[in-house]
Amino acid sequence: MSVIAPKFRLGYFLKSLTDNAFWSVVLLTLVGVPIIQIVLFYVELPVVDGELVNPFLALTWLSHPESIVPLVKALLYTDVFRIAVFPGFGFAALVAAGTIFVERKMLAKMQLRVGPFYCGKVEGILQLMGDGLKLISKEIIVPARADKPLFIVAPLLFVGTAAALVALIPVAPGWVVADVDMGLLAAFAVIGFFPIITILSAWSANSKFPFIGGIRALHQMVSFEIPLILSCLGVVILTGTLNLSEIAASQAFFPWILFLPVGAIVFFVCALAELERIPFDLPEAESEIVAGWLTELSGMMYGLVQLGSYVKLYAFAALFVVLFLGGWSGPLLWPPLDEQLINDGINAGPVSAAVPGLPLFSMEFFSAVIWFVLKTAAVIFFILLPRGVFPRIRIDMLLQIGWYRLIGLAFVNIFIALGLVYAGVIGPGGVI
Amino acid sequence: MADAAFVALSVLTVGSAIAALELRSMIYGSIALMGTLGGIAGFFFLLDSPFVALFQIAVYVGSIAVLILFTVMLVRRELIFKKVEDPRRRLAGIGLMLVFMVAVGAVVLDSGIKQVSAGGPPVEFTEIGEDFLTYYWPALVLMALVLAASVTGALVLARREEPDGAAAAAEIPAAAGEGPGAGEAGAEGVEHGQRAG
Repeated sequence: MSVIAPKFRLGYFLKSLTDNAFWSVVLLTLVGVPIIQIVLFYVELPVVDGELVNPFLALTWLSHPESIVPLVKALLYTDVFRIAVFPGFGFAALVAAGTIFVERKMLAKMQLRVGPFYCGKVEGILQLMGDGLKLISKEIIVPARADKPLFIVAPLLFVGTAAALVALIPVAPGWVVADVDMGLLAAFAVIGFFPIITILSAWSANSKFPFIGGIRALHQMVSFEIPLILSCLGVVILTGTLNLSEIAASQAFFPWILFLPVGAIVFFVCALAELERIPFDLPEAESEIVAGWLTELSGMMYGLVQLGSYVKLYAFAALFVVLFLGGWSGPLLWPPLDEQLINDGINAGPVSAAVPGLPLFSMEFFSAVIWFVLKTAAVIFFILLPRGVFPRIRIDMLLQIGWYRLIGLAFVNIFIALGLVYAGVIGPGGVI
Repeated sequence: MADAAFVALSVLTVGSAIAALELRSMIYGSIALMGTLGGIAGFFFLLDSPFVALFQIAVYVGSIAVLILFTVMLVRRELIFKKVEDPRRRLAGIGLMLVFMVAVGAVVLDSGIKQVSAGGPPVEFTEIGEDFLTYYWPALVLMALVLAASVTGALVLARREEPDGAAAAAEIPAAAGEGPGAGEAGAEGVEHGQRAG
């Protein structure tokens, strides 16, 4: 007899199973089937190839790959898919979830702790899911005399802004949600919304700790935005474009970090500060002001802000990759499939399979995505690393670094880029 | 399509401008001001100049509005509103607005432009840079001088008056105090730097 269920008896268990099966069958036949039939009666079904598409025909199609492949291909090129799944939010959220897991385990290993361990048997891999379920099931508490509309909308806006930043990032050639000519400027315009949302959320909570954290966040984000923008100017001078896809494509042979290491360092430090990562995590300094501007957020509102901040982390890492590390460019990992295989399918003795429309993606696409993800993962690793090593710095040191060191270095970077252009090394009409 | 967008943007801009003036809560007023500035950015998009539009968003919505929000949060409301409101002032303001709008509307109607056409090629930002460095160079120099003066002025204003003995000891807090004041000037400096580049 187990301790968890002291009154357990196999007979009761089997009876509950058969009961459930009985009631499912009864409800389905008495309610479900009539509803389906009534709906089918009123819905006007489309006619394809002179044949009325009824549910049975649709099911038959689903089991035929030559019918389903064009449908899948059409789905892959819709805007909804791009926004919600691949280069857009779903992909970013997946990377964010991986980041959270790696961060917890890696920091634990660095500090000789264990980290998440029990949930999900293998190294606590389901811990994040458990945390998410916990946050969803918790009550959302709005503090007394808080500004309710702003307080509730702010986490949603935070996630939305992070997703808007992700939408501008090209992952593979042609795979970007919004391919705008002024992509880099648009990214900075979006980044400019984060301090507003932070300070509004902090103010609307009507509490002291969030307000202090919000003001710190405002100082930090606004002052580090300037070296962030300046550090990208070098790349813009060398490429002559603001389109992020073109910037990434311009680095097919060498990444700009080889020529502009100073700019890359400035961008990286500014990204750390914009993301509120240690050593610049003053806005949520847990040992001084509880949790900073996140103090009063509870339940899934806190979960949304966390999701947004990790999606933002992915976006900044991807921006670093696009600007300085060459984006998706890299050696081809697998040779392109030969024409015969694509046209005729597989013919290996008795086995032959030919489905028109396959493969869905070219090998170049897979190679591009894998290189992009590998580079992004490397940058994310370096963003996570300081958290296990450095203490938090004081706010005056932070502002000193931002206003004196980083802006100066960013100008040095601009002069390096101008020197390279005027010396005729790279850029329009250059040697390389 | 462009006309509908124009009308929607006009409603957004004017409506949020009125809201910015009329709302009793100053925080909501500054949020409404952000709506106005964003609406103006929308007009720039309609005029096929995304470069100016994105700078409008990055500088005005992203930096100036944040500074206004920051000021509003830190200053108590009683310090700003000392005067008792006079209904005649409001009427006078509405009358002035109507006169101005009739004048501008007469100019617009007289110009013969009946509809907005969007979808032309966007203005190249490299052309803006070339124009600045060739034909409009006096304006560029003037802008640089104004910005340099404002940076210097911000630094002077942000400097704290310290007693002589405490000056050396209080060096670090004084440096921290320069942050917000210098922030404004720095944001303008970026704008200038981008244009020049």
